[in-house]
Amino acid sequence: MAWELASFSSGLLREPESIEGVDVEIVPPRSPVRVTHVLDAVEPRIRPDGRPAFPSEGPAGAGTTNRLDGVVVLACLDFPGEERPLHEQESIVDLAGPGAELTPFGDMTAVVLTFKPGGGGHVAIDAEARRATIAVAEALARGTLDAEPEDVERFELGAADESLPAVAALIQLSDLGPLYIQYVYGLPAGEVGLPRAVDPAEILDGAITCGEYHWAAMRNPTLYFQRNELVRTLYREHGKTLRFVGVVLMRGYEQSAADKQRAAERAAGVAGELGADGVVMTTDAGGNSHTDVMLTCRACEQAGIRTTVVLAEETDPESTKPILTDWVSEADSIISTGNVEELVEPWAPERVLGGDLLLDGTPAGQAGPIPVRNYLGAANQMGQLALSARTE
Amino acid sequence: MKAVHYLNQFFAGMGGEDQAEAPPTRLEGAVGPGRGLAADLDAVEIVATLACGDDYFAEHEDEALSALLTMLAELAPDVLVAGPAFGSGRYGYACARLAAEAAARGIPSVAAMHEENPGVEAAGAAYVVPTAVNVAGMRDALPRLGALASALASGRELGSAEEEGYLVRGFRRNYLAEKTGAERAVELLLAKLGGDVRTEVGGDLDRVEPPPPVPDLSEALVALVTESGCVPQGNPDHLQSVRAQGWFRYDLEGADTLASGRYESVHGGFDVTLANEDPNRLVPLDTVRGLERSGRVGRVHESLYTTTGNGTPVVVATRFGQEIAGQLRDAGVQAVLLSGT
Repeated sequence: MAWELASFSSGLLREPESIEGVDVEIVPPRSPVRVTHVLDAVEPRIRPDGRPAFPSEGPAGAGTTNRLDGVVVLACLDFPGEERPLHEQESIVDLAGPGAELTPFGDMTAVVLTFKPGGGGHVAIDAEARRATIAVAEALARGTLDAEPEDVERFELGAADESLPAVAALIQLSDLGPLYIQYVYGLPAGEVGLPRAVDPAEILDGAITCGEYHWAAMRNPTLYFQRNELVRTLYREHGKTLRFVGVVLMRGYEQSAADKQRAAERAAGVAGELGADGVVMTTDAGGNSHTDVMLTCRACEQAGIRTTVVLAEETDPESTKPILTDWVSEADSIISTGNVEELVEPWAPERVLGGDLLLDGTPAGQAGPIPVRNYLGAANQMGQLALSARTE
Repeated sequence: MKAVHYLNQFFAGMGGEDQAEAPPTRLEGAVGPGRGLAADLDAVEIVATLACGDDYFAEHEDEALSALLTMLAELAPDVLVAGPAFGSGRYGYACARLAAEAAARGIPSVAAMHEENPGVEAAGAAYVVPTAVNVAGMRDALPRLGALASALASGRELGSAEEEGYLVRGFRRNYLAEKTGAERAVELLLAKLGGDVRTEVGGDLDRVEPPPPVPDLSEALVALVTESGCVPQGNPDHLQSVRAQGWFRYDLEGADTLASGRYESVHGGFDVTLANEDPNRLVPLDTVRGLERSGRVGRVHESLYTTTGNGTPVVVATRFGQEIAGQLRDAGVQAVLLSGT
């Protein structure tokens, strides 16, 4: 018998410079806990074949992936003030109280990671926090490798009746620069040649991760891609009421009018190449991205592709005035994911994790009513949840 | 639980047109239609009736409201019920105004009148139960009015206008739908593909039409307006980085450029690093001055108007625009270069 032991330099021990430490708390479902400064929510996943569950190379969506049901990793971080280009965009998860009704996280066991930022600037701090969050999510799922699954779902688009309408999902991803980025296989959405068609299973299998920290309620955290309700609904209806022909990823927050128009027309073109008769169009954040939605909706309709868009509303609850920042007449089929300006009743959490003070300096445990816009993913515009608004 | 009922002089039994000048008065218990309404209330008692002459209310609205609201505050009811006023415009308006003011003070309030009664527009956040156009509709109206008043007094969360039988007020309110947004989106798309176009957000959406071109820019007074959060260095007036509460006007003092270190952006919706290296990227004063010198632009207006456009509700942004436009119009400005971010 022979054995080789290889030795390496201690120089390979890389100490993360941008994160000084992390507090870890495991919180049971419905605990009277408020979590603040939440960057992202991630479902623990691992692949038995050893490939990464959040791959940097595609394609995902093949083979088998294990998930830990009912568990969420919540990554929290308060960027150092002088490094924070965004202000007062607090992101809260309540695991109990009225705010818990707005998001699915209260029903889950939360593994709360509170990162202590170090030096190097917000880009480096964010990159380190995202890397660590994904690593924790994979580590947490490791126990599944030696266990029997409770349930196995199979995602496959078989042949479907050609007379059924062909439907695609058109998913818009944010890329507005540092701290406003969603990632496709680990790269910013603006750098991966969007728009392009992907297999729907790629969305569900960790191809998209979220590093977008704008308005909390209008974000799509990573877990919403892993458990994407739109993609899952279209799989479920495939062969029954429609033919699911694929997912088109496009970038939101294009920066010039010409780029916006071009992106809209190209996205409609990709949907056309898939043979779509209709698309459901999603978005992330608001304002600028809503203009991308409207231009894309118009481009699809002009290409003969019927379009339904999913949008959150940003309207003063005491006003009866118009409610969208942009609108085209072709957008005649809109799903509302709720009004982010409505206030949520206060409650008294027993514990606060993530950081004791909200970004505006209010003690998080004694805050008054908090608008929906501060609740992570509560009015997300992929249709993940049931919140909506109606005229009363 | 306690209700207070509002009636005009006629329905309160004080008299007809000859008593229309009667000032506000408080009567004990249920009076007139209030007796019928009482039978349709669930665990709610009409403890007092407030009455006022229609002419008096129309001619002395502030005094009438003040007196009625004082009485209401003393009674501290769980619900205010006003009317039914049917098609009577003056009576309907009085019911609606009192209900609106009471609602604004946290008293759940409901008025009843015909849906084309001009009072409907004055009801604010109060609820309005639709009735027939004349008093023949009393028997039909009271059970519906009683049901909504009872629901309001109980403090339970009301359902939609359709479910609860009140007129749509136009407020957007959140609720949890039975299906997820994705499921509803797929249903809506399939309906649209089948020719049945439906929407959850629609109607009366604002469209800003581009104005006609400026006839002769070389003669025009041109103003610089921005929502980029561009302010003098140090942000002396504390413009908010998000959800701005107002806008500011800064004199350019004849400057040729927005120098770094003299101006900065406090906008919280994008990374301002590059903008602060050269604030002309926010507001292109340097370029516009060049156009002014070469005669392509008549003259640059002396002041910069600025706010932060970031998470501002549309209704608030509309007000900023109207206020700024008013000042520009008064200053004789013919063209605006509005830089957005």
